[in-house]
Parts: sequence; structure tokens; C-alpha cells
Amino acid sequence: MNAPEPNLKISLRSAGELAGIVRVNEEIKAIVATAFRINLMALNAIFLAKRAGNAALGFGVLSNELRRFAQDLTRNMASLRDMTSGSVGSVTGVVQQQRNSRILAEAIRLSGDVPGVREARKRGAGRLAEQQAKLRSLDLRLRAAVDETQQLVELGGVLARSAKIEAAYGGGFSPALMQVSTDFAEVIAQIKRSLEVLGKERLVKD
Amino acid sequence: MKQAHCIYQDDDHRWLAIARDPTKPGYIIDTNEYVIANGDEALLCDPGGIEIFPAVFSALSAECDPTKLAGIFASHQDPDIISSLALWLEFKPDLKCYTSWLWQSFLPHFGGTDSTFVPIPDPGMAIRVGGLDLQAIPAHYLHSSGNHHLYDPKAKILFSGDVGAALLPPDQGGLYVEDFSRHIRHCEAFHKRWMGSDRAKRDWCERVSRLDIDLMVPQHGAIYQGADVQRFINWFAALEVGVLRG
Repeated sequence: MNAPEPNLKISLRSAGELAGIVRVNEEIKAIVATAFRINLMALNAIFLAKRAGNAALGFGVLSNELRRFAQDLTRNMASLRDMTSGSVGSVTGVVQQQRNSRILAEAIRLSGDVPGVREARKRGAGRLAEQQAKLRSLDLRLRAAVDETQQLVELGGVLARSAKIEAAYGGGFSPALMQVSTDFAEVIAQIKRSLEVLGKERLVKD
Repeated sequence: MKQAHCIYQDDDHRWLAIARDPTKPGYIIDTNEYVIANGDEALLCDPGGIEIFPAVFSALSAECDPTKLAGIFASHQDPDIISSLALWLEFKPDLKCYTSWLWQSFLPHFGGTDSTFVPIPDPGMAIRVGGLDLQAIPAHYLHSSGNHHLYDPKAKILFSGDVGAALLPPDQGGLYVEDFSRHIRHCEAFHKRWMGSDRAKRDWCERVSRLDIDLMVPQHGAIYQGADVQRFINWFAALEVGVLRG
């Protein structure tokens, strides 16, 4: 099979960038759903700790922290979501500009060096560079936000492990508290996996 | 490849018909584009779709300086009329697009900004090209609900958009109508189906009958000249339109 033409390569790359954004959005949606689940789980854990009384004081404190963690995570994901929405506009702009430049180049090829075409090409190249720079900057911000969220989730992992230790001191409620803390650890591990996928996605290919 | 044919010239006042593209893919309807040049300015009527932009640009550039293009006249909003707008603006960002006010907020989906569009009111308006006044003539509901044709009183040419259009077989590719009764057969199904209002049709027939027309140039098919113009108007006036079949 012949190698794709350069213009086709550009279109495929842009199509790949749009598909990348879709994957990023899907992971964000999965994390947001999980954060909502942690929030509910933490609320239940707080009630459980209250019923367990003095034996589960430490577990109650950790459950409150986990609830706060879930809220912080939801906020982080909302800001990531805003960034990807902006990147859809930029990728679409790049795709449109590339298409226009390709068709204009074909028109110029057929017409020869008619007045105004050099300026038109220069303007088009300028606009394309501008859109691509915007996309690169969004990509950098997205990566920084994912790094920040990964640190937050590390903290969530520590809280879940501590909750497991505290559950052991829960007296008669220990098995129930242990189950809750194991659930915390599992959902946080799930978020970590999603963040790893997000960390590998790039809005612009190098 | 499309070619520009000069269909009228009086000093630096010219009408070019960009027509017939044998290299165009068969699944795209054939279109005619018209350039009205006067002095240092030119206006492009119904520039066509994205796919044919290279062919239209190339044909236009072969006959006139494309930087002199000051405006685009879009008879209505269809993709075969104006979907290439973004590409013309890519070449010349300050181009003005004259179109019915009805489509002013629809056409930016093809390209352009607020400053690109000059809305044509329902009764029509004058459009100046290098000191020459052209007249946008109402042709609403023929077939689009916001539709104008363009009349050049000096050249006595009426650009009639989809009215007069013919879907011609490949062996009848002449630029002008040569045998009216043979030609009109290729107009009938198109006009019956596309033109939706009998009242609008009668209004238009009365309106254009009052104009002095030497050439009637449609967006598809061949150009009517001389007595064939009135023949067409009479034929159209008698045609039952807005019918699905028959």
C-alpha cells in the first residue's frame, strides 16, 4: 500500500487529536462518577462511625477528609473538562484551516501565480500556526492539571489506607468499617488508573 | 476544467460565465457561476460549493484579476450556491456577501463574520460594482423563501438563480439554448418540484416581464437569449409548480 499523501496525514492527525479529546473526556466522566460515589460512601462512613461511637472516632475524621477529597476531585475534574471543551474548538479550527489551505493550494496550483495568492497563503499559515499554538498551550495546562490531580489522588490513597487501619479498632463495627475502607481503596485505585490513561493522552502530537 | 466565457462586453464592463466542468465528479450537480466586472471592481454571483472552488477560482483568475473581487452575490442559501464562502474569504477577507436578510445569520455557518454580510431587504436593492448599479430583484419562494435575482440594466442581463435551470444530459452541453422546445423538456421536472409557490411564480413572471432582458442566465443549464427569454417566462407562467410528480 502506498504511503498517505501529506495532506491526508494532516487530516488523519487532526482526526486523531479529536479522538484523543473524546478519550480524555470519557476518562474525566468516569472519574467524576467515581468521585460522586466516594462522596456518598464517605457520607455513609460518617454515619457508621457515629453509630460506632468512641471506638470509631479516628475513622470518622478520616471519612470527613475523604468526603472533602471527593469534593476537591470533582472541582479538579470540572476544570479539566473546561480545558477539553476549549480544545475541541481549537482542534476544529485547525482542521478547518488545514482544509481551507489545502483547497486554496489546489486552486493556486491550477491558476498559477495570480495576484493576491501569496498573501492569502501567508495569512492562512499564520492562522494555522496561531490555532496550533493555542492547542499546545491547552495541552500543557491539561498535563499540569492532571499532575496536580494525581497528587491529590495520592493523598486520597493515604486516607483510604489510614481508614483501613482505623477500622481495625472499630470494635463490633470493625468488619463493617473494614468493608467500607476496602471499598474506598478500590475506587481510589480505579481513579489512579483513569488518571494514568489521562496522563498519556496528548492533545497535540509531537 | 471549468472555463470563463465572456458573454457580454462593453469596454471594461463585462459578464463572464464560468460553466461546464467535465472533470467534476458526477455526483455533484453542475453549476454556472457569473462574474460581473466593471472598472476596477468585480462581483461574483453564486460562487458555488466547496468542491468546485479550485475550478471556479482558476477559471476566474484566467480572465480577471481576482484581487478586484469586491463582493459575492448569493441568490439564496443552498450549499451549491455559497458553501465555498469561507474559501473566497480565505483569499480575500474583506469581501462583502450580498444575500437576503433571511440568511444573514445562517450563512456564517459556511464562513464570514458580522461585517461580511450585506442583507438584501425583501423588495431588493441596488448593488454597486465599480460605479455600475445592479438591481437585486425579489424572487422569494423560487425556490428559497429568501431569494433574489440580479439584473444589470446596462447589459440587459438577468441572473435568474435556479429559475430557468435545466438538468441537461451530457450531449447537450452548449452554453446557450439553441432549440427552446428541446431544451425546455429538461427544465420541467426541476421547476415543478423545486418551485413551490404558484403565486410567487406569477409575481416573478410579471416583474421580470417589465424588464428589458437580452440574456437570462441561470445557475444550472444553458443561457436564454433574445426571444427565448420571453418564451421561458410564458412557459413558466403556465407551468403548474409545487407538485411532487407528474
